Amino acid sequence: MNIEDYRDMIPDFEKFVARMNEPQPYWLRVNTLKITEDELIHRLEDKGFVLERFAGMNAYRIKNMPVKHPGATVEHSLGYYYVQDFSSMVPALLLSPSPGELVLDMAAAPGSKTTLLAELMKNTGTIVANDVSDNRIKALAANIERLGVSNAVITKGDATSRRFGAKFDKILLDAPCTGEGTYRKNQKERMPNLSDHIRMSKIQKNMLKNAERHLKEGGILVYSTCTFNPLENEEVVQYGVEKLGLKIENVELAIPHDKGVSSWRERSFEKVSDKMIRIYPHRIDTGGMVIAVLKK
Amino acid sequence: MQFSKNNSYREYFIERFGIGNEIEKYDFYEFAQSVWAYSGEYYEDKKIEVMGIRALRIKKVYKPTTAFLRIIGRYATKNVISLSSNDGMKFLKGENIDGVCGNTRGYVVVKSGSDVLGCGLCAGKLMSQIPKKYRIGETWL
Repeated sequence: MNIEDYRDMIPDFEKFVARMNEPQPYWLRVNTLKITEDELIHRLEDKGFVLERFAGMNAYRIKNMPVKHPGATVEHSLGYYYVQDFSSMVPALLLSPSPGELVLDMAAAPGSKTTLLAELMKNTGTIVANDVSDNRIKALAANIERLGVSNAVITKGDATSRRFGAKFDKILLDAPCTGEGTYRKNQKERMPNLSDHIRMSKIQKNMLKNAERHLKEGGILVYSTCTFNPLENEEVVQYGVEKLGLKIENVELAIPHDKGVSSWRERSFEKVSDKMIRIYPHRIDTGGMVIAVLKK
Repeated sequence: MQFSKNNSYREYFIERFGIGNEIEKYDFYEFAQSVWAYSGEYYEDKKIEVMGIRALRIKKVYKPTTAFLRIIGRYATKNVISLSSNDGMKFLKGENIDGVCGNTRGYVVVKSGSDVLGCGLCAGKLMSQIPKKYRIGETWL
């Protein structure tokens, strides 16, 4: 695919292209399981960090820093913060787990969203954080440990087919994808082609099918990817609505975003597009993310 | 993998570090020469790789982990060593610190200000037990 293929799909396309060619700023989230926002922000500012808080939320854009990498501090080693793009926080915020709930994070590595879920749950209830490969699980375990997450169980298995040991109140399916929304961070990577999107879409549908199987009646499932192509987003969500009987929920989100794509290459996604959320890099200087909130 | 529950390990943290009720929020599970502290509800699955946070390694004596002490260490009332800011940085780089242990022997909670830095071993001098993955670099702040 060429990014030009999305010209008619993405609003303010010229701004989008310009932003995609700029390096992505770092964002961080304070780990309130270990420290208060005020205390950490004062400590980092005393060290020379320049931070901008977004809309009263626990999300800070790093505008300047005295170290080469934002993780090169004592505070990072102690697990007081997580370097995480703001767009990547949104799926966990929309899942909005409560303390005490049973939550499944189906494709959890490297753990940015799992650790945010634990923070929202105040380290109570249970998070089953699953991933498929040993290396990815190593990264997941390291982040969970560093941030002091004690309510998570890490399991290994293929999320398209494996049976979990329970039905869940809430499920986060942050699906593996072609990653167009991370292009600003990894500018040397090639853009995916159409067959990549088609292949991923099949895997994502199988994961969604397995997620639905493990969701309690009335439970909430958040589906998200960090790619723009509708085959990996609207098409998968529409499959969930039409074939799996899931309902797509209306969502209030106080973050600049766009609605889903209603049609693309003669495919119509009108049943779901109005209720989907697209976060584009040119809106608030982040990566990209597409999200739907579904109910069983 | 089979993790088996054994809450008798709470006693170690109560006796060694004087930790009070805070330890009650964790259940302890044994697996593969380690003890894991878990604050979630029981969940059964044959493919569990990790359950909560590794809290102890079972050797000749129990060795507490830096990761768990960084959570629970703030409630410790004994076998705690407090370091100056400079010594704290050295400790986090993996260096040993002289002259801070006094009569204390064995594993300790090491703090600097309000930060719990992790696990140390008092054996004459304070020997840093910070795992390599948590050690800070020379240019870090």
